[in-house]
Amino acid sequence: MLSLENITKTTQDWLLTKFSPTMALTIECVIVILLSITLFALLGLVLVLLERKVAARIQIRLGPNRVGPGGIFQTAADTLKLIMKEGLTPDKADKFLFNLAPFVVMMVAMLLLAPIAFAKNFQIWDINIGVLYISSISSLSVIGILMAGWASNNKYSLLGAMRSGAQIVSYELSAGFAVLTIVVLTGSLQISDIIASQENGWWLFKGHIPVIIAFVLYIIAVTAETNRAPFDLAEAESELTAGFHTEYSGMKFALFFLAEYINIFIVCAIGATLFLGGWMPLHIGHWESFNHIMDYIPSSLWFMGKTFFLIFVIMWFRWTFPRLRVDHLLNLEWKYLLPISLFNLLLVTVIAIMGWHF
Amino acid sequence: MFLKDYISDVVNGVSSLLKGMRKTGYYFTHSKEIITEQYPDNRATLKLADRFKGEVVMPHDENNEHTCTGCTACELACPNGTIKIITKFDITPEGKKKKAIDAFIYRLEMCTLCNLCITACPSDAIKMLPNFEHSVFDRSKLTKILNKPGSKIKEGIE
Amino acid sequence: MNISSILFYAISALILGAGVLAVTSVKIFRAAIWLLFSLIGIAALYFWMQVEFIAAIQIVVYVGGIVVLIIFSIFLTQNSGKEMNSPTMGKKIFSAMAALFGIAFVGNLIAQYEGFAYPSAKPFDPNVAEIGTQMLSTTSHGFILPFEVVSMLLLAAMVGCIVIAMRPKNDTENISLNNNETK
Repeated sequence: MLSLENITKTTQDWLLTKFSPTMALTIECVIVILLSITLFALLGLVLVLLERKVAARIQIRLGPNRVGPGGIFQTAADTLKLIMKEGLTPDKADKFLFNLAPFVVMMVAMLLLAPIAFAKNFQIWDINIGVLYISSISSLSVIGILMAGWASNNKYSLLGAMRSGAQIVSYELSAGFAVLTIVVLTGSLQISDIIASQENGWWLFKGHIPVIIAFVLYIIAVTAETNRAPFDLAEAESELTAGFHTEYSGMKFALFFLAEYINIFIVCAIGATLFLGGWMPLHIGHWESFNHIMDYIPSSLWFMGKTFFLIFVIMWFRWTFPRLRVDHLLNLEWKYLLPISLFNLLLVTVIAIMGWHF
Repeated sequence: MFLKDYISDVVNGVSSLLKGMRKTGYYFTHSKEIITEQYPDNRATLKLADRFKGEVVMPHDENNEHTCTGCTACELACPNGTIKIITKFDITPEGKKKKAIDAFIYRLEMCTLCNLCITACPSDAIKMLPNFEHSVFDRSKLTKILNKPGSKIKEGIE
Repeated sequence: MNISSILFYAISALILGAGVLAVTSVKIFRAAIWLLFSLIGIAALYFWMQVEFIAAIQIVVYVGGIVVLIIFSIFLTQNSGKEMNSPTMGKKIFSAMAALFGIAFVGNLIAQYEGFAYPSAKPFDPNVAEIGTQMLSTTSHGFILPFEVVSMLLLAAMVGCIVIAMRPKNDTENISLNNNETK
């Protein structure tokens, strides 16, 4: 059967017969880099189009429908336009940091891709601290934003960067606690272990109400962490023109834009992995025949389906809710999400110790 | 007591958010709600609102007769001088002089489509058309003479 | 010279280069960014040594925490965008001597143990569960006491923050009264 697992295995075997192990490893690295860059470009194109279509449908509009059938080449045309535009650097900006910031943001997004399992045994790096790696690297994403905001030499950019910094630093906590609930239940930080533990049902169904609460908290927190509406204070158009990327144009702006969507994809992929079983098909306890039927659907489809469902939910949030005021934003985190997630973590720990979960 | 308030806060907040998401979710799943008009493609079946005002016209009947008496009520009512009526005196068959319009000049480029001329007209000689495709290559084409050449006033209108 | 050692020297060059730039830069924000790269380089070195847990903690604590704090304080400082004056000769000599002393001290420490031996890959295998057990164990090499002392310190710091941030009670009453009057 043709699956991603077999393809990677065949490729590796073939490379090992042709080259020395070091050379084969280097070639594999290059292939992985090329594949992830391709994935980034594709995701950028698809997600931007998806966002515009979802927004249109929610606002009772049609959305882009002129370029190509149903508008599917709209984002490709937009990208072409952005490539041809001039990347301006303001005169009094800190030019080095100004040009570095978009790449920092992209690099962080790329690093986050490493531990994600796209299909069964199809993962770039099954690092043994998977979840911790993700939360540590995602704390870096604020650096690029702060850098961009400072280097632009613009008060809107600076304000946007500071808001975004305060927001990311505080919402990281409740996202971390939501992730910890699953770590407590699984007893491992490794992504492959977490997925394997969901073989007889996803944690969302196995873990009773506390895990559902953790899932909701996770979705809210990552929506804030990726600076998406209703938490898009960092780039609140009506107050700060465009926040930290006010001064950016052309491809440098496109990199910020792309990084935002890549980050959404990554946090949704992680959410799908932790709560919805990653590539694990829908298994219910000991219904062998049902589980067997579900196994016929390829694991990569399961993963992509769950991830895109979560992406859709986050887009749904964006086009439904109004933007929060900055003090409400911090109230929500420190007075509601954090106490609830702490208490919830306690409940989950009790459940895990007593073995009450399925 | 504090805990009760806190929990009810959370529950109320979540339920009101869910209410909003239900509405947008309904719109997302019901494509028949879409109100976008794909204008140049659906020109034939385009539906405009009943009260849409696009252009002042003077209706003529099949005998090339209109009902404008040349009273200049519309010209006086117009806030920005869009309408200019040039009158002349016709000789009736009885030999009397009768006031009639020579040219009803209407400058579309200056018109704000406020409808004041229509309400001012005592004989319903002019009306608004729901027509919005006004672009032309020459601005002078927007200055229109509303009475058709050779038209005359309908019998019995004073 | 295999790939592993090439990586080691590349990462070391990043750490040292960024460190030198951090202390020589005249713009304070740039200095903070160079410090950040230096710390990321140290995390990369931990990854190279395959002690991923320490590397992740290095990033969370130093890069995600301390450098962000430094950057925030730069943002909130007035005139922090201006270039600093270059230091006087005396200061330069003093800092060079301090750096030399530090290098000598660390070098002496290293020489007492193995000397500058080539760092062998994967000398130990600390997995997360073992680190957790060690952290909370009460046996002779356990870290429960320092752990609890640190948590007490953090608690005290948090209470202090809240006290500083809290408005005195009569102030709030005055403000609410004023609000009522304006209404």
